[in-house]
Amino acid sequence: MEKRIEEYDVVVIGGGAGGMTAALYAGRARLKTLLLEKSLIGGLATYTSEIENYPGFPEGIDGTELMKLFDKQFRKFGVNVKLTDCKGVERLEDGRWCVSTFRTNYYAKAVVISTGGRNRLTGAPGEENYLDKGISFCATCDAARYTGKKVLIIGSGDAAIEEGTFLTRFCSEVWVSVVHDEGHVDANQVAAEKAFKNEKMHFIWNTSVDSFEGDDMLKRVNLKNLKTGEIIPVDVDGCFLFIGYLPNTQLFEGLVNLDSRGYVITNEEMETNQPGIFAAGDVRAKVLRQVATAVGDGAVAGSMAERYISDLDTIHDDILSKDRVIVFYYNASEDNDRAVLLKLETYGKEHGIEIKPVDIYKSDKVMRILSGAHLSAYLYKEGKKVASASLKENFDLSSIESAL
Amino acid sequence: MAEKYLDCLGEACPVPLVKTQNAIKEMAVGDVLVVGIDHTCAMKNVPDWARGQGYNVEIEEVGDGEWEVVIEKTK
Repeated sequence: MEKRIEEYDVVVIGGGAGGMTAALYAGRARLKTLLLEKSLIGGLATYTSEIENYPGFPEGIDGTELMKLFDKQFRKFGVNVKLTDCKGVERLEDGRWCVSTFRTNYYAKAVVISTGGRNRLTGAPGEENYLDKGISFCATCDAARYTGKKVLIIGSGDAAIEEGTFLTRFCSEVWVSVVHDEGHVDANQVAAEKAFKNEKMHFIWNTSVDSFEGDDMLKRVNLKNLKTGEIIPVDVDGCFLFIGYLPNTQLFEGLVNLDSRGYVITNEEMETNQPGIFAAGDVRAKVLRQVATAVGDGAVAGSMAERYISDLDTIHDDILSKDRVIVFYYNASEDNDRAVLLKLETYGKEHGIEIKPVDIYKSDKVMRILSGAHLSAYLYKEGKKVASASLKENFDLSSIESAL
Repeated sequence: MAEKYLDCLGEACPVPLVKTQNAIKEMAVGDVLVVGIDHTCAMKNVPDWARGQGYNVEIEEVGDGEWEVVIEKTK
């Protein structure tokens, strides 16, 4: 099958809260924007039945409902949506990025990575066979299924202890496998105390999962005592894993810098180490992963993508596509800089050469992309830098003049 | 590398899924099936099934409440 090529200003990878917000900002800035989502729009927030800490909804709102509102809003700005897997991102020769799916290569000036994460597995034998057949990750989603039944929770962080406490409203028994010594959990103190007092909750200390067993459905989890090596079989109707979260960044390994846990490293402007690639939402290395923080990331990523594209256009239209032009980087808020510019513009008129002043007061991106320096002038001929002169100390253009 | 269109417009679940499964069975590896659907439930179960089989899947919104599910039989 011949791959199609489609051109966009911005491609957003991932349709959760962060990605939708980035697409909204890009679309509203009238950029040609595409959002790719591998399954359904809404991301992780759709697994939460009640979101009480997203401002603007004082009564709380169902996660799926909230994401439907996000969906409706970003599509208003002409964003295209493709529901398909992203297969990879590669740099094109002209500096744009190629985002590939199985049928189409999307050429984009800027890319926003907002691929979120997924739940971590134990890696124990048998696990694969019982995912969604007794092994679950969302108490809110699956609690009702275990009404009057016995479940085991793996983990002792906030999610494990809080969701476990929630499950006691439905289940007859909630067992918790904790790797730490008796009395120690990773969860916050308030949640832990509540759980210790709960008669339906039972803790199995110093254990991790050895294997999962069952027939069509999960029937037993064998725990291993980490100190004695003893195997403790626990017969269960269901097992919930709350042992952490992994970022969906395998596709981007070697492309952008990741931290030791695989999250994408960005600066405050959501820029990765690759020019034109931004990241937003849970996939970023950051302290708090919430709808509210994803929205903030998305807004910044969307508008920084817009600024980056306008810088690229400057570079292309005003510098690289000219026969010859002198580029000068100055700070328009400095008297001295403006005076030097004035001299340079007079020089340009006298010698019949165009001057392109680039103000670095608001953004120095163009200067950085073209590896220029403050108060320096560069002569470009047909897209190539052929001479430079620093005008910082004195107004000496001899090196440029000899190359004219 | 043939491409085949399967019209499931106006059909409710599970008809589109069953038709899709039957159509894929008849196809060769590398062939592409485009399923036209307008029932939201088929929008979930058809791609879910195809992804579960390890096929490439893309969903295109072709109109208001109308989708094309593109499935490449990869094995």
